[in-house]
Amino acid sequence: MNLVDFSSDAFIAAFFLYCFAFGFYVIAIFGKKFSNRDPIKHQKRWGRVAFIVSSAGLAAHLTFFFTRWAGSGQIPTSNMYEFMTFLGMAIMIAFTIIYAIYRKPALGMFALPLTVIIVAYASVFPQEVQPLIPALNSIWLKVHVTTAALGEAFFAVAFAAGLMYLLRVVDFNDKSKAARRSQFWIEFTLYTIIILIGFIIAVFAFRGAGYEAQFNQEHIIIDNKGVESTKVETVDYTLPPIFMPYNSQTVSMDSFLGMQEPLLEAPSWMNGVNAGRKLNTVVWSIIAGTLLYGLLRLVFRKPLGAVIHPALDGIDPDDLDEISYRAVAIGFPIFTLGALIFAMIWAEIAWGRFWGWDPKEVWALITWLFYSAYLHFRLSRGWQGLRSSWLAVIGFVIVLFTLVGVNLIIAGLHSYAGV
Amino acid sequence: MGKWRRTVQIIVLSAVVIIGGYAIGMTLFASDEGAPPKVGGQPPSFALADLEGNVHQLSDYEGQALVINFWGTFCPPCVKEMPEFERQYEKWKDEGLTILAINLSEDTLTVNNFVRRFELNYPILRDMSRKTERKYGLRSYPTTFFVKPDGTIMEIKVGGMTEQEIDERISRLLQH
Amino acid sequence: MPLVENTKCECGHQNAVGTVLCEHCGKPLQAQELQSNEPLEMRYDGVARRSQKVNPNWIDRVWNFFSSVKIAIYLIILTFLSAMLGTVYPQENSFVNVTDFAKYYEENYGALGLIYYRLGLSHTYESWWFIGLLVMIGTSLVICSLDRVLPLYRALNKQQIRKHLQFILRQKTVYKGMISGDTEDWSKQFGDALKKKGYRVHRDGTALLAEKNRFSRWGPYINHIGLILFLLAILARSLPGFQMDEYITIADGDTVQIEGTNYFVKNEKFTIEFYKDEELPDKLKGTARAKLFETKAVLYECTLNCNDPLKEPVLEELKTHDIIVNAPLKYKDLKLFQYDFNLTPRLNAVHPVIINKETGETFGPFDLPMKDSALKHEVGPYTLELIENYMEFSIDANGDPVSLSRDPNAPAFVFHVRGPGLAENGEPYIYFPMQKDKEIFQQDRLNGKLASKLEISVNGMDNVNFSEASTYLNVRMDKALKYVWIGAFFSMLGLLMGSYWQHRRIWIRIDEGELSLGSHTNKNWYGMRSDVAWALAKAGITVDPKSLDNGGNKA
Repeated sequence: MNLVDFSSDAFIAAFFLYCFAFGFYVIAIFGKKFSNRDPIKHQKRWGRVAFIVSSAGLAAHLTFFFTRWAGSGQIPTSNMYEFMTFLGMAIMIAFTIIYAIYRKPALGMFALPLTVIIVAYASVFPQEVQPLIPALNSIWLKVHVTTAALGEAFFAVAFAAGLMYLLRVVDFNDKSKAARRSQFWIEFTLYTIIILIGFIIAVFAFRGAGYEAQFNQEHIIIDNKGVESTKVETVDYTLPPIFMPYNSQTVSMDSFLGMQEPLLEAPSWMNGVNAGRKLNTVVWSIIAGTLLYGLLRLVFRKPLGAVIHPALDGIDPDDLDEISYRAVAIGFPIFTLGALIFAMIWAEIAWGRFWGWDPKEVWALITWLFYSAYLHFRLSRGWQGLRSSWLAVIGFVIVLFTLVGVNLIIAGLHSYAGV
Repeated sequence: MGKWRRTVQIIVLSAVVIIGGYAIGMTLFASDEGAPPKVGGQPPSFALADLEGNVHQLSDYEGQALVINFWGTFCPPCVKEMPEFERQYEKWKDEGLTILAINLSEDTLTVNNFVRRFELNYPILRDMSRKTERKYGLRSYPTTFFVKPDGTIMEIKVGGMTEQEIDERISRLLQH
Repeated sequence: MPLVENTKCECGHQNAVGTVLCEHCGKPLQAQELQSNEPLEMRYDGVARRSQKVNPNWIDRVWNFFSSVKIAIYLIILTFLSAMLGTVYPQENSFVNVTDFAKYYEENYGALGLIYYRLGLSHTYESWWFIGLLVMIGTSLVICSLDRVLPLYRALNKQQIRKHLQFILRQKTVYKGMISGDTEDWSKQFGDALKKKGYRVHRDGTALLAEKNRFSRWGPYINHIGLILFLLAILARSLPGFQMDEYITIADGDTVQIEGTNYFVKNEKFTIEFYKDEELPDKLKGTARAKLFETKAVLYECTLNCNDPLKEPVLEELKTHDIIVNAPLKYKDLKLFQYDFNLTPRLNAVHPVIINKETGETFGPFDLPMKDSALKHEVGPYTLELIENYMEFSIDANGDPVSLSRDPNAPAFVFHVRGPGLAENGEPYIYFPMQKDKEIFQQDRLNGKLASKLEISVNGMDNVNFSEASTYLNVRMDKALKYVWIGAFFSMLGLLMGSYWQHRRIWIRIDEGELSLGSHTNKNWYGMRSDVAWALAKAGITVDPKSLDNGGNKA
């Protein structure tokens, strides 16, 4: 068996270990109510089990990383799949460090699912090893991408702690206007996470069913000699086309729920084959996510925030605030070094200009400025605690947009293939 | 800081005004060094040889009304214009007009063969390696620059002109 | 409020107006501060920050504006919000060939695109207001830092060991308890424990000040200095002579001058290597995915006749280098980057032979470049006089031969040939080096009888000289670049100093057996409490770190 195949096995092992660790954390936190034993001992015991399992998962993940590297001859951080799995691994590393300092099992209950979701999201993208194009063939690829991801991983942990603070502090029984606003936004955040899960489920479900559809779009190009030629662009859909690309023809389409033809056409201002595909994917994610959310609401009969709130009862919110802040304080210099400084050095070497206001570069700067504002906000009274936690949540959304949104929505020098 | 405080404040704020003013000013009045010439601007300098091997520089024609025409043998409108320019030259030369026809980096035989077909009395200059056409920011041919005696560009005409169009512009040029 | 405020403390020290805590002993000076039980305002240890003084004139107002952290945060937020706007549509500088931007944005992005353009958002990062924001951030960096670093230095430089009781007990981490046994001993034990943790311990009787990692307080200021230098370096690039960013196209074998300089670059050969199908995953098989492309380049400097239109420049070789994407050619401040390439071949010259069809003899080959060929070629017994040449031969509407362009896409040469079996004054012969043109224009029919007497042709590809490709190089020079890196370095250094170490101080005093302990840090109270608890434990007092917390907001 070659190394790359073995690495895939290690990856699957890591994934399952993470899921189990999550389960153990849930037992540690929620179980203490049902256990006959002393809740503190219960939490400590199961917390330790969970941490061992999550560390084992990290070890398996590291194995995946290094065996894939050895097997393919290049560091596995050069396409969306490889990068996102690396980010998941980095989040586990950041979590392990923060956990070692603060020893709060509840953090594991949030950090683990975050990692699992990111890793699952990564798996949506093409997994084959793709040989490096000349621009990526440099030591700086290793240094820039890994350091930036590690910085972002700490921001992810800060996000988890911030979300925990919000869930801990917001009173779901309070009916006042301010409280309802807070409840709404927390619920909205959870809903958004569920949309992401919905995306992953939708993609894997249809992929498992082998769904395929294909569309052609014709472009008329006039070159500089005035000669007309027609170019045909093809796009493959792996989700049933609710939206087909603007101004395109159906080449083939598997039927779905009796639907033989695409339902709608993408609006004219989304004028590429890929724009149509992405719109379709987004719509499917929202549908799947909303269905899932609805189901959960039916089952629990109360807002998801209210469901999770009791899990955080025993925790001092100040500690959560501290963890969140500390994570940002640790991650910010790493992020600066990786995402800005190494990026500038590499850009200067490869493209001859250390900064070009490329969308990805700009969003890295936006992320940096945002967290810089976060750190400065904390200098003033009244910004610790609740507001700080919201900032940590928003900050990670910005990070995700930089990583995912810019690649998929905005074109530029940093573009990747998609779904 | 104590008694130096006021001094420090003034120094820092002055520096901010100067440096900041420079930075913002740069965006508003962007330096056009290396950018193609525009109407009202100055034509870039050049030093090119004519068919006899004499070197002509833009500065040789300081103070004169100037028509700089870029042409090539492969450009039909350019070819059509040449005898028109000749007639115009004969008409206006005593009033201080100079016409310079800069060829678009074609080789010697091509240019000589072409010029032999006409009797042209104004200087034919040879651009080398497309340097001058790049400096002038040319995108298509022919392109003709009408330069006033004060050295600024009155008009940049892209495309061929009829004799009447040339005539009208030169008479306007000479009024400056 | 009396005209002259009395700021002389109980302990005798004269403090500046606006001081919150006495510089000497730490007792709160302002009336309300005295009454309250809230944790103390410990910024700059309570030393007066001059911006907050009375009666500002306009210089003070401007200064205070930029000195405020709130304003700085607003500026940061405004900057990143406007940066976001700049990514909605591609910016102007990402398009190479567009001249009419208004039309381009409208055509491609609709009405919204046109609005985007009109608002100036299509060149957000070069707009006057964005630069203005950066200028204001730079100003804020300077003024915020100046205003804070000096009071901080004053506060930390001369620190008193024995602090006022109020000072100690109103810190955010506090312990109060009784000491049984010898207080001097205990104090020494406590101090020794802290020394093991890396603290610097100063004593005054039983009073003690333990301090650690003061250097980390300078971190933010070093960071700000780095950022200021970074911004200034970027600004310096717009000064004349500091920057160059040009593109040159060089076909294989050509030497091209870098505009505005005396440097010339030669492209000896451009090569490109694609991934073979077996190296590619299934989805990508059959596609042309570049593995490596490089230009074998030579850099020259012109020493003579550099801009002389009549003479060839004299070139002196400076450096050779194989330029690939991540490895530019570097010479002094100049850098040549591999930018792009074009695989369109260009015919440079042919070396044809002349075949006497009647005798079967072959003469030559002779050198026939597409451009600037010699006017006379003597090949064996034949003399060829070059009469006309066309780069892209065609027949116009009147039936006359013309050239459609200046690139050798369909070259044709008209010779006057003299030689054996031919008229004494010579006969015209038209020659098309490219086979396709020979056929399209029916070279033999055009040459009539002459075509049966002689033939000019090329034997094999060895006798053809063409450029396989053209390389596009990006020429850059950036004198301010090293200052950019220096600024970035200090910024990073300051960040590390400030984030990964925390400044911690512990004060104790023992009054008649009663221990009062207070401690302060600029961040990471968790660690502070843990240090205090550890040292107390070593000295015989066990406490839960959490219990040391004295409330108040933590930074």
